[in-house]
Amino acid sequence: MSGALLQAKSACFGYLGRMVVQDVTLEVQPGDFVVLVGPNGSGKTTLLRGLLGFVPILGGRVERRPGLRVGYVPQRERLDPLYPLSALDVTLLGTYGDTRPWRRSGADALARAQSALKVSHADHLARRRYADLSGGQRQRVLIARALAVEPDLLLLDEPTAGVDAETSESIVATLDDLRRAHRIAIWMVSHDLEPLRLRVDQVARVERGRLRIEASR
Amino acid sequence: MNVFSADFLFRNALAGGLLVGVLCGVLGVYVVLRRFALLGMALPQASAAGIAFTFLATRHQHAAGAGSHGLALLGSVGFTFAGLALLTLSGRRSRIPEDGRIGALLAVASAGTVLFVAANPGGDFEVTSLLRGELLAISDRDLVTLALASVVTGVLFLWFRREILLASFDPDFARTLGKNPVNADALLYALLGIAISLGVMTVGPLVVFGFLTLPALLALRVAPRLGAAFAIAALVAAVSSLGGFAIAYRADLPAGPVDVALAAALWLGVSAIARLRESAARRSALRVGAIAAVLLATAVPLGGCAEGSGPEQEPAGNGLPPLARGTLPNSSRPVAVLRFHNETGQSLRIASSNPLEELGKAAGDPFARRDPTVLDELEEIATQELARRGFVVLPRFETQKAVPSPPADPASAALAAKRAGLDSLVLQGSLRRFTLNPSRILLVTLDLALVDPRDGHTLWTGTARRPVAVPAAQTLPEAVRDAGPQIFADAFGGS
Repeated sequence: MSGALLQAKSACFGYLGRMVVQDVTLEVQPGDFVVLVGPNGSGKTTLLRGLLGFVPILGGRVERRPGLRVGYVPQRERLDPLYPLSALDVTLLGTYGDTRPWRRSGADALARAQSALKVSHADHLARRRYADLSGGQRQRVLIARALAVEPDLLLLDEPTAGVDAETSESIVATLDDLRRAHRIAIWMVSHDLEPLRLRVDQVARVERGRLRIEASR
Repeated sequence: MNVFSADFLFRNALAGGLLVGVLCGVLGVYVVLRRFALLGMALPQASAAGIAFTFLATRHQHAAGAGSHGLALLGSVGFTFAGLALLTLSGRRSRIPEDGRIGALLAVASAGTVLFVAANPGGDFEVTSLLRGELLAISDRDLVTLALASVVTGVLFLWFRREILLASFDPDFARTLGKNPVNADALLYALLGIAISLGVMTVGPLVVFGFLTLPALLALRVAPRLGAAFAIAALVAAVSSLGGFAIAYRADLPAGPVDVALAAALWLGVSAIARLRESAARRSALRVGAIAAVLLATAVPLGGCAEGSGPEQEPAGNGLPPLARGTLPNSSRPVAVLRFHNETGQSLRIASSNPLEELGKAAGDPFARRDPTVLDELEEIATQELARRGFVVLPRFETQKAVPSPPADPASAALAAKRAGLDSLVLQGSLRRFTLNPSRILLVTLDLALVDPRDGHTLWTGTARRPVAVPAAQTLPEAVRDAGPQIFADAFGGS
């Protein structure tokens, strides 16, 4: 793996035997900042979910560095607002991977969650009910939850969708700070390349199920 | 009567009902959260079918004694888990929606129960006992079994609460943490299966369904957190079970349905109280508004009489008297009020009083000015109210020129202000609710934050959410202007 966090070699991903993304070869290095772009239905989300292991690999292979910690930020609309959870509760979910079933979530987990909220500029929302937050605020809480995992790799599915330009830029700036300060590799799906062009290292373009990686600047 | 005395005839029935109620009440929170309500009805019915089938197959009757209970429990558990397995396996490749498959299970289980009972010579008594939820025939042995199973179920639920929450709220995220949500789902189904099987044996399918839904509905209506929801659901189930039993005992009614009726009454009562409190808050706001209007009306002439008789107050903020800072920080730096972010989903546009101008806009006049909105009014009032509290506020046109678009949160506001070169503090606002109801009550939820762009820190946050009566307002801008000082007094404090 030569220091890579994750490698895909000629990997094909799909559902029920139907191939959606094919012949994907890529390597994720610590501190990478890559944006996945492409038209609707091109396979961006399938590729991201394939790298996460949520979509079956129909061919080729995906190798992860042993012990790789992944933080995942889903599209926020997928989460049910009926759950009576505060922003802190949602962030604490990110620490559950390190807590054994019969143990209490200790002070360490709480400190991790609070620190993650602060880094994502959402510490003032900790006590607010998640369902009552605005789109941009929810996005920051979901980023905090992913950071509470203490990840090596952060995968984000359209984190700037449905938020205004300023918030979008602020979220991207937060992500850029994170990868610079902590060497976290970041791959994110986005519809809008422009606010990202000056910050990302590479643009991964998905078209008709095929991936093409190009330098951004 | 000492209900816990060994001599009390119905002690076991009471304890059994309490155990089932609390167990189903707690697990019911997930039944409601995960939209399993139909499953909560179908599985108890499958369990009932299992009991009826066992009685038919073994020619036993429901009231035949302890021996028949073991067999009935076997049938109950067997049919409940068979139903769960059928639903899970059929769901993997089926194109039929889940609720359709659960509905089919309910229909088949209901028909099966009736047919098994009809085919059994002693069946009439069985089905009546089952459906009414007879609590009386619980032996000491049954009670011990029920208690042990309840403790095991409760402990497993407590141990794996995080896994169950992860799998329920965000199964994909659970996978990224190395936790397979299928295992947590299987555990939740198994716990539900055990609770339902035992519950149907003890109190019948109707009562189990009632306890799986009603306490959870009440709890989720009022609980601020998930942990509180479980505690409230357990408490409501316990009160319904004990209270229902007491009522049934005195009125000579079947205990199970009375338990459910009591749980439903509690749910409806709490919902009604919650609604009444909301109405009372609005009425109180109306009274406060009326008193304020009277005081204002009397204060004007009194103020005229007092003119020149005391120290003159320095008018601040559009001629209004100054106020204390309230909860705002004691900073000497100027403040820029950024454009507020609209999260209401409404345009909040204020129509022009000039019909020709409106007509021009409707016709697409390219020279028409941007429509003013409620947010413009609120920003203007925020500027005045900050000035009243001793802040130097930058002119709005300068601020809006520097930061033209409304930032959605404090961090975005800090970034935008920093990029625009603003060195003052900035006030960021998000309007989440704005409704003027027919009783002239303005319902507003406005989040505000005071941010320092130098380091991005949020120095202060506040929310205005108290309803404000605007009885004299005839137009939307009048309503906003009338309510403005109270809205910001709610958020800033100060008097």
